[in-house]
Amino acid sequence: MSGGLDIAAERARHPEAFRGKGWLGWLLFAGVFGYLFYLMWLFDFGRVFTSLANVWVIVGLMLDWSGIADWDHAELWRSMLETVAMAYLGTMLAVVLAVPLGFLGASNVIPQRVFRFFTRRLFDGLRGLDQLIWALVFVRAMGLGPIAGILAIAVVETGVLAKLFAEAVENIDRGQVEGITAVGAGLAGRLRFAMLPQVLPVMISQALYSIESNAREATILGLVGAGGIGLRLSERIQINAWDQVAYVIVLILISVALIDTTSRYLRLRLIGAVN
Amino acid sequence: MLQLVELTRRFGETCAVDRASVTIADGEMVGIIGRSGAGKSTLLRLINRLIDPSEGRIECDGIDVTALRGKALRAWRARTAMIFQQFNLVNRLDVLTNVMCGRLFDMPAARVLLKWFTPTERALAIRALDRLGMADVAMNRADALSGGQQQRVAIARALMQQPRILLADEPIASLDPLNAKLVMDALADINRRDGITVLINLHTLDTARTYCQRIIGMSSGRIVFDGAPDALTDPVLREIYGQSANEGLDERLTSTSLPASSLATLAG
Repeated sequence: MSGGLDIAAERARHPEAFRGKGWLGWLLFAGVFGYLFYLMWLFDFGRVFTSLANVWVIVGLMLDWSGIADWDHAELWRSMLETVAMAYLGTMLAVVLAVPLGFLGASNVIPQRVFRFFTRRLFDGLRGLDQLIWALVFVRAMGLGPIAGILAIAVVETGVLAKLFAEAVENIDRGQVEGITAVGAGLAGRLRFAMLPQVLPVMISQALYSIESNAREATILGLVGAGGIGLRLSERIQINAWDQVAYVIVLILISVALIDTTSRYLRLRLIGAVN
Repeated sequence: MLQLVELTRRFGETCAVDRASVTIADGEMVGIIGRSGAGKSTLLRLINRLIDPSEGRIECDGIDVTALRGKALRAWRARTAMIFQQFNLVNRLDVLTNVMCGRLFDMPAARVLLKWFTPTERALAIRALDRLGMADVAMNRADALSGGQQQRVAIARALMQQPRILLADEPIASLDPLNAKLVMDALADINRRDGITVLINLHTLDTARTYCQRIIGMSSGRIVFDGAPDALTDPVLREIYGQSANEGLDERLTSTSLPASSLATLAG
C-alpha cells in the first residue's frame, strides 16, 4: 500500500500530524520524579525501613487476644453505638438544613448572581474547616460529650450536602421544568413536582453515603472529647493496650460494613434498582 | 379570539420572531409550518408566555396578555396548554400524577407541597387518561412508557387544564407513523368535540394539509403565508422552505404518514 506514498508531500500538507508533543512532557515527567526523590530525602524516608521492627512488635501485640474476657465490652460497645448515633443525628440535621439551602443556592431556582455568590460562600465556609476543628470549638463551648460531635458533623455536612444538592438541582432536565411551568404552576409547584422528583434520588443516595462516611469520621472526634469510640481508642493507644486497639478497629470495620449494607439496601428500595 | 400584534422576539442579534401579526378565531385548527429555526417554537412559547416578547402584543378577548403577571399569568398559561416534541413529562412521577399536574395553577401552596390531590382531581385525571386510551397505565412511571404513550399522557395533562387554546410544538416529530396518527387524531378530536383552538407546529406538510383548515407559513421569523391548505402552491412553498425546495418539494419525503391500507394492518 506504500506505493505512491509521498511522505515529504504529506508532511508539507499536514505538518501537525508529524510533530511530536515536544520536550514539555519530558520536563514535566522529570520534574515530578525529581521532586518526589527530593522530598523523600528531606523527610528522612529511610526511617520507614529502620523502624520496621517496632511495627512488627505492635502487629504481634494486636493479634494476641488472650485477655478478651477482661476487656470492658459494655463500655466499648456503648461508645461504638454512640459514634454511629452521632453520625446519624449529625447527618440528618445536615440533610434537613441542606435541602432548602441547596435549592436556594441553585441558579435555576434563584437566578440573582449576588444572592448565589453569598449562599455559595456560606457553603464553602461551613465545609472549609475540618470536623475536628469544629469539634474542638464545640467542646469548648458546650463541654465534653457527643453533643459537640453531633454539631461538628452537622455543620460541615451541611456545607458539603448543600453544595452537592445545589449542583444536582442545577443539573436537572429543563424540559421537565418547562412542562410544569407551562401548565401555570408557581414556584411551589415547580419545586415539588418538577425539581424535587429529579433530585430526590441524588439527595437520598448522597445522604446515605454521608451517614456511612461520617460514622468513619466520627471515630476521630472522640480524640478531642467530642464523644464516641475515638476516646476509648486513644486511651488504649496511650497505655499500649494494642490487643484492645485491634478489637476496637474490628468493631469500627464491622459497624461501617453494616451501615454500608443497610444503606445500599435502603438506596435500592427507595430509588429503585434501575438508574 | 387570539390576536398577535407585531409580535417580535429577539435573542441577541437574531430575530426569532419578526413582527408576527395574526388573528385566530375560537375553535380553529391551525398548522404552522416552516424550516427548523423559522421561529415556530418561539411563537408558541411566546403565546404561552414561557418567554416574553421583545416588542408587540398578544391580546385575547380584549385582554392584554403580555401585561399579565403573577396569578393572572399562571391562569393564562393554564388556559393555553402546551404539548412539546420531547413530551416534557416528569419522568420519575407516575402517569396519574403527571396528568394531575395540569391542575397545579389553582391548587393552594400547602396542597402542592404535600402532593395532596382531591378525589375530584383524581377522577378528572383518570377520565382524561381514559379518553386517550391510557387509563390502564395510570400508575406506571412516565419514563416507562413509549414515546407515543408519553405524548398521549401529555395531551391528557393538557386536557386536565381545561384549556381554551392548545399549543402543540412538533408533537409528532419524535414518533413513529402509527403513534403520530394516534396523536394527530386525538388533537383533531379535541378540536372538534371540545371546541378548543389548536395551534400546531408541524414538520410534515402533508400532515398539515390533512388535519388543518388553515396553515401559517413562517420563514426567518416572519409570517410569509396564511391561508387555506389549497393555496399552498409551489412558489409559496419555495418561499417558506427557501432554496432547499428549488427542485420542487416531494411531500412523501417529509411524510410520516402511512397509507390507509398498512395502517389497518398495523392496528389489527
